[in-house]
Amino acid sequence: MAILRRALQAAFCGTLGLALLLRGASGAEAPTEYQVKAVFVYNFSRFVEWPPQAFSAPNEPFVIGILGSDPFGGRLEEAVRGEQIDQHPLLVRRFRSLDEIGDCRILYIDRSESAQLQQILAALDHRNTLTVSDLDDSSQRGVMVQFATENNRIRLRINVESARAAGLTISSKLLRSAEIVGAHNEN
Amino acid sequence: MRRLLGAAAVLLTIAFGRAEADSGSPTIRELKELNVEDLMNVEVTSVSRHPQKLLEAASAIQVITQEEIRRSGATSIPEALRLADNLQVAQKNAHDWAISARGFNTALGNKLLVMIDGRTVYTPLYSGVFWDAQDYLLEDIDRIEVISGPGGTLWGANAVNGVINIITKRAADTQGLYAEAGGGSEPHGFAGARYGGSLEGDTHFRVYGKYFDRGDEVLANGDPESDSWRQGRAGFRIDSGPSPRDRLTVQGDYYDGREHVQTGGEADASGANLLGRWTRVLSDDSDLSLQSYIDQTHLTLPTAPLTLNGQQFTPPGNLYDDLTTYDVDFQHRFKVGERNRIVWGLGFRHTHDAVINAPGVGFSPAVLDQNLYNAFVQDEFALRNNLSFTVGTKLEHNDYTGFEFEPNARLSWTLSSSQVVWAAVSRAVRTPSRFDHDLSEGSPPYPVFLKGGSDFTSETVIAYELGYRAQLNSKASVSVSSFYNRYNDVRSISLTPVTVFPVYFANDLQGDTYGLEFSGNYQVSDAWSLHAGYTRLQEHLRVRPGGYDVDNALFETADPEHQFSLRSSLNLPWHAELDAGLRWVDTLHTDNGATPATVPSYFELNARLAWHASERLELSVAGQNLLHNRHPEYGAPDPNRVEIQRSVYGKIAWRY
Repeated sequence: MAILRRALQAAFCGTLGLALLLRGASGAEAPTEYQVKAVFVYNFSRFVEWPPQAFSAPNEPFVIGILGSDPFGGRLEEAVRGEQIDQHPLLVRRFRSLDEIGDCRILYIDRSESAQLQQILAALDHRNTLTVSDLDDSSQRGVMVQFATENNRIRLRINVESARAAGLTISSKLLRSAEIVGAHNEN
Repeated sequence: MRRLLGAAAVLLTIAFGRAEADSGSPTIRELKELNVEDLMNVEVTSVSRHPQKLLEAASAIQVITQEEIRRSGATSIPEALRLADNLQVAQKNAHDWAISARGFNTALGNKLLVMIDGRTVYTPLYSGVFWDAQDYLLEDIDRIEVISGPGGTLWGANAVNGVINIITKRAADTQGLYAEAGGGSEPHGFAGARYGGSLEGDTHFRVYGKYFDRGDEVLANGDPESDSWRQGRAGFRIDSGPSPRDRLTVQGDYYDGREHVQTGGEADASGANLLGRWTRVLSDDSDLSLQSYIDQTHLTLPTAPLTLNGQQFTPPGNLYDDLTTYDVDFQHRFKVGERNRIVWGLGFRHTHDAVINAPGVGFSPAVLDQNLYNAFVQDEFALRNNLSFTVGTKLEHNDYTGFEFEPNARLSWTLSSSQVVWAAVSRAVRTPSRFDHDLSEGSPPYPVFLKGGSDFTSETVIAYELGYRAQLNSKASVSVSSFYNRYNDVRSISLTPVTVFPVYFANDLQGDTYGLEFSGNYQVSDAWSLHAGYTRLQEHLRVRPGGYDVDNALFETADPEHQFSLRSSLNLPWHAELDAGLRWVDTLHTDNGATPATVPSYFELNARLAWHASERLELSVAGQNLLHNRHPEYGAPDPNRVEIQRSVYGKIAWRY
């Protein structure tokens, strides 16, 4: 019994030590791409104004959707945990495909959905949803906010017309440092 | 006892789950306190990964990222290629490597196509790559894509067993000053620098230079080998966007290297190239590109006297080779209807190769002009939303064998957004090189012992592949590829009737190979990731019925049946990084002269410790082949076989 306890103690301390070491490390290191992007997405919820009809109830959750595979790996949940916009608690939901997309105020469209981008945007028309993607040229194709990486830094390309068409107002705080992209007329 | 363990686990979960819930990780918390402008100025790590694209690819592709190259401590492209699990990499001496995919890694390996920014770098002299002539400022490489399996339809002849695409960063991604310097037991010393800036509008440029000096390795009998080398290199790249739809790239490099060789004396490998590329986006689904380059290489190679049974037939001398390549490629992608994505292209290449023969080895004719024309078309057809079928072929004309077909068909089935199964059948060819056709070992008027085959034809392969790729969850991804290849008309050596000599190259070998390539990644935490790779390879090469081979089908292969690697990448507190890579390579059966011989299996370890003293300054110490004082990786057992020594170097890198 004594031997067992000692073994358990050693195992426990080992795990604890490693966890602490890693914890310290993650704080000291340069953040990863999707940590920064997760915080950006969180910021969008604060710097974009949704029309009142976007919510049916004052305490309805503010849903941030991820369509396709999830590159954030839990970081988005971490960024929005405990936060709320007015009375709406922030919530992350995942959608595997176009058909599954439920009501959401922000939708991150993953690279894996590149082929269906046009259909996705068509399906979201008039749903008061801010669309966000990493896909190259997605802002020209009608996505409202595109992440672009330049010199290891995250840049925003914002398609103001698409946002306006969905009834969204983007704060000048975001627009000031973003690149404004004109809507590309689809044929 | 079991209950006790369970209780401890629950306690742990609660303790850590709580901590997480209360605060989130420190990084996210800090980031949330920044305003938008500051957030845009945060530099992020590992941005150049393309996991989704990778997941979509219906081939055995592996991508080596810039981050992986930097953290591996690699000092050259061949060392960086050890990071691809689907390659066999063996260092022969200080400046020569044998690199292959899916086997056939002979002294004159010839079944791999290698390109740097779209410029083909294998030599038509023997259809192989002079790895000592290929280099770059590693910091400015964006990624290396390694595709095992045939790529003939898109890439053309020589893409028999694999394609390596070395892709450098766009000039816009290499702005500012970068400088590095270091040295140790190996490389003795190195220095490199790059400066990137922008001109008016959307035009960016960079210029770079690099120099290194490497020492001698050691022979099996303990004597020092004479294979030290040094090389200088400089180049530039300009990227411009004259309109939002157009991209123009102009780039060029120059290099000059001197290396001591075992045969005595000093070899000189130098060269220069200039490439231009124009890409125009026509619509969301359509673009075209036009690329052209000129590439010149020079080689001076000291050759040994030719001796047989102790009798010397030729004196030593020098082989000189000057190769000039002119190449133009056009490519157009477009969509037909909702379901068909077509890509087609045309290419033309002219090579002018001028050799000055050495007494011991030469080529006949000494000067040769050759033209290569090709056209290809490929259609990716969406059978269903999640099922796509790709079919295409390349038609190529070369001066030795005329027209060659290289078709392939691929099926890609996306099980979910994070899982894909793919299958492919392809035919690829290795067209004859000057070595196969024009070689003369002992060049007239000296007696000729080995010569090229005037009837030498193309080697062919039919490859069947099946693969699976998945992002299992946010932390783990795996890729498995399997293959079965059937080869025909592989190079053999025949005897001249009655006189025996000269022996000459023919196509009397055939056979099959099969195997498996596995790689997996696991992100243990934000700060720690693990990678594992395993390759299985079985080769059955034989003399075709009624044929003959001096080496009894033993010369064309020298490959490990098993190979595995394990890498760990850990971020430590105080801005430090610790990386380690362990590899095990099975016994190599490296046979020449009909006598089976081996290179013993070995374990080796590379490691690197780095400290980012500030945002601009990075200090690191890297060790290579740490487990043994010295070990052989290639060649027949011989007191003169070169062994690779343990080496350690330090490095300072500065970014401004």
